[in-house]
Amino acid sequence: MLKKKLFLLCSILTLVFAGQALGAEKLVNGIDANFPPFAFIDKTGQPSGFDVEAMNWIAKEIGVEVSHQPIEWDGIITSLLTKKIDIIASGMSITEERAQKVDFSVPYWVITQVMVTKKGSPLTIDEILTGKKTVGVQQGTSEAKWLKEEAAKKGWNFDLRYYSSSPLAVEDVLNGRIDAAAMDDAPAKDAVSKKDVQIVGTFGMHEEQFGYAVRKDDKELLEKVNAALTKLMASPEWNELINKYDLNK
Amino acid sequence: MSNALSVVVDSLPYLLQGSFLTIGIVVSAMLLGLAIGIFMAVGLVYGNRFIKYLLTAYVWIFRGVPVVVLLFLFYYGLFNYLGWNFSAFTAVTIVLGMTTGAYQANIFKGAILSLPRGQFKAAIGLGMSELQAIKSIILPQILRMSIPAWSNEYSIILKDSALAFVIGAPEIMARTQFVASRTYQHLSLYITAGIIYFLLTWAGVIALRKLEKYLRIPGYSHHGNQ
Repeated sequence: MLKKKLFLLCSILTLVFAGQALGAEKLVNGIDANFPPFAFIDKTGQPSGFDVEAMNWIAKEIGVEVSHQPIEWDGIITSLLTKKIDIIASGMSITEERAQKVDFSVPYWVITQVMVTKKGSPLTIDEILTGKKTVGVQQGTSEAKWLKEEAAKKGWNFDLRYYSSSPLAVEDVLNGRIDAAAMDDAPAKDAVSKKDVQIVGTFGMHEEQFGYAVRKDDKELLEKVNAALTKLMASPEWNELINKYDLNK
Repeated sequence: MSNALSVVVDSLPYLLQGSFLTIGIVVSAMLLGLAIGIFMAVGLVYGNRFIKYLLTAYVWIFRGVPVVVLLFLFYYGLFNYLGWNFSAFTAVTIVLGMTTGAYQANIFKGAILSLPRGQFKAAIGLGMSELQAIKSIILPQILRMSIPAWSNEYSIILKDSALAFVIGAPEIMARTQFVASRTYQHLSLYITAGIIYFLLTWAGVIALRKLEKYLRIPGYSHHGNQ
């Protein structure tokens, strides 16, 4: 009877820790899976997107296996620092604040921030910022931080609402809960192609660059990734990817 | 309208695959909770004052703090601090297991207290040790008695498993979100997710009802005239 109980206890523990067993020597890329066209889950249920495919190419070049792990954007740097993932290749803007915690690769993309409104809405950028409107933004993004800080400085009176992903903010623009959503131009273009929204324009935020993030003590990985990334950007495959994900400016 | 439907049909295999992880989380958490619950219930009824205080504190903590707070606390906080690199699946299972363990402890404790005290005394009188009495007399009864309440716990934990998406476990809710982000078909997708969860709850409750009938001891029942 005791043996049976012991066996049961062991099987329970095995079940509980089953998820642990498969931690082999791979590169784990953390992605925001709700960020098309840079990172998302495609029709077949596989991670896909500009950054995902670029990372696959780079991993092959360096000679490691890579897997893509969806992580909540808000906690993605924490996940990197606590070694749950090894790299972040998912449309991450290089900012000073982030650079204090992680090391960035060479920049590979320039991004502008835009406002998105419902198609046919007459709102201008000025009205959105100063006309007591509600603006949605994804939590943990650089534009979220910028808007909050600039609003205080410039006296803008919009009501800032936080969302766990840009597509959710777009949904609320469509159903009228918010007047506009602020996001990177690439996912904005993606939203425009799928739903009845329009890009109004930029709202004064500086251009940013995307880079891959690694832990500060991972110097060797950073070197290898930089070398491979530079090679990729100089190769024709880079343009192929840009065309595939409709990122032409 | 057809777009909403076609997105659901296309992504259904992907969503349904998430149910493996969901079921894995629920089964593991419920079993962990069962072990914790039985152990704690026995301690709460038959233990000395010190043990009772400790166990009661545990029950209060896990009944008083929301599961989502516990998930972040354990996954990003405690496990981090201790340097334990647990996967999201393991973390969710541990948190849900400990939570349901607290509730199950109360369920089993109530069941034990509903038994006539005379049974325990008679067992001791017959020469059994306390442990033997608990194992052979008390537990078989209360485990059967508690199946309805246990199946209630099951449906609660199944629903709570959806919270695993906040720490990135690719179960049903997380997968639904991913597809919704790509396709913007929120309504049809979340209805689908709801249906999947409903079916899982329903199947589980029916299975537990069958288990209860199977385990019923003929001639001994606490169901009255049912």
